[in-house]
Amino acid sequence: MSGAANPSANGMGSKTAPYMLILPAILFAFWIIGYPIYDLANMSVHSVNRFGVTTTFNDFNNYSRLFSHQLFVGMLVRTLIWTFGVVVGTIVLSVPVALILNEKFFGRQIARIIIMLPWAVSLTMMAIVWRWSLNGQSGMVNATLYQFGMLQSPIEWLATAGTAFPIEIAVGILVSIPFTVTVFLGGLSSLPSDIFEAARIDGASAWQRFRYLTMPLLKPFLNIVLVLNFIYVFNSFPLIWVMTQGDPANSTDILVTWLYKLAFRYGELGMASALSVVMFLILLALTITYAMLAMRNERRN
Amino acid sequence: MENKLRKSLLLWLALSPLIIIILFPFAVMLSTALKPPLEVLVYPPTWLPTELHWQNFSAMWEAARIGPAVFNSTWVSLAATAICLVVAIPAAYAAARMEFRGLKLFRQFLLVTQMLSPIVLVLGIFRLMAKMGMVDKLPALVLAYVAFNLAFSVWMLQAYFQTIPRELEEAAKLDGASAFQRLRLVFLPLATPAIGITAVFVFIYCWNEFVLAMTLLRSPEHNTLTFQVFSLVGGRYQIQWEQVMAATLVASLPVAVIFAVLQRYLVSGLTVGAVK
Repeated sequence: MSGAANPSANGMGSKTAPYMLILPAILFAFWIIGYPIYDLANMSVHSVNRFGVTTTFNDFNNYSRLFSHQLFVGMLVRTLIWTFGVVVGTIVLSVPVALILNEKFFGRQIARIIIMLPWAVSLTMMAIVWRWSLNGQSGMVNATLYQFGMLQSPIEWLATAGTAFPIEIAVGILVSIPFTVTVFLGGLSSLPSDIFEAARIDGASAWQRFRYLTMPLLKPFLNIVLVLNFIYVFNSFPLIWVMTQGDPANSTDILVTWLYKLAFRYGELGMASALSVVMFLILLALTITYAMLAMRNERRN
Repeated sequence: MENKLRKSLLLWLALSPLIIIILFPFAVMLSTALKPPLEVLVYPPTWLPTELHWQNFSAMWEAARIGPAVFNSTWVSLAATAICLVVAIPAAYAAARMEFRGLKLFRQFLLVTQMLSPIVLVLGIFRLMAKMGMVDKLPALVLAYVAFNLAFSVWMLQAYFQTIPRELEEAAKLDGASAFQRLRLVFLPLATPAIGITAVFVFIYCWNEFVLAMTLLRSPEHNTLTFQVFSLVGGRYQIQWEQVMAATLVASLPVAVIFAVLQRYLVSGLTVGAVK
């Protein structure tokens, strides 16, 4: 890699070449992503009517209206429950699944393909099929539970405040498992096998090897999976939108679904832009955490 | 041998609850899609239809306007994937092969844009497209999809490009190949697998995308497949579930097959990109 510092070694002689090569990508990002961020930030500190025309600076009135909105705290709490529930559930389930898929056994390739399957199908389709499966009268979930004697009378899973949200969290976990297992599998395959051999010879039990070797060595991968899943799940919109649209009675509404309603249903553009900015800042904080973790890994390698 | 057999059985047993739950929606899709309409809403429902009602597929293709939606999704996804690669490959080449002032900043910029999801910016993007007069036009979707996949693509590609040995190009240079010849004859052939994998991921993203399609499209004839299937269940009182399930099957199967066939390459590709 010694030729890297010498521009003539890579053939594209001039100093401006790398900038010309990255310029289109940067322009694109500034145009389609950067400008909307600027526009939202600008709108969030001005008075704005329901047609999106901004007028005067309004002393952060949009933000104070947002934070004092009677639904805001509930949305925030449910977003936290949703995010933590899905991320923690996903990781708790993914570690054993990855350990199993890392073993050699008959049909491992088929098992891997099945476990990865939900990844390929869009969240929208998954949500539509689950919504139909959970239908009270004609859904196969009730029918199956009934068949095995686990249910006396049909339950309207998604129309009941107590069951809709936990079910959505469960589906969220299901669709997050493939990515998480993939990263763990990548981590497991990178672990040196000789230290496990040595530990076995020294008489360490399977649990001890897991607890004192596998887990600490997987830690960098665990960190990355935690932060990435936090970002994905925090942003996850289609599952909830398709299954319940935040109903019944806002009991499944989280910040992203509320943001969509504020912007495109209630015409509350001021509050919607303020909420966008707040969520952008939360994501930025998470991203910086991720970047720091990723750089630490890179240095270790 | 017998030992491995026993181990296999135990491990399959341990995985079985998860596998059943994962396969459950696929079984529901297939079962409902093949039922005669009158059997769909009976109580209690059954897994097996009395006859295989293939007509659901032709009915949904026409009545539910799935045909045009497949066409829209295909060309939007192909166009977005192509533009994304054309913009991302040079940037990834620079990030992987050249040292320049601001490289670190560029990589941080990629990381941050990679984390942004359309939903957080959807109001701003809608306003931008409205300003450009592109609401309800499919090219608006292409532009947005390219923008939201660029960071990921550049990141994946540069991680791969770094693993391609530089020496081959240097040898070609000694043999008198020009910069363009080296790029076209030495580098790009070696980079083809990486480009292919990235293309598959971008294509799947576009094919599956929901929020932007819902926000930017207005007239039903412009709907992409994902959004069209959603509009069959969203806000309707009479949902023809047998047609909807036939449509979800058509929308999911191609992508699921591509994914299953390429699973090994996609997964190893992603771990190179994600963990690096």
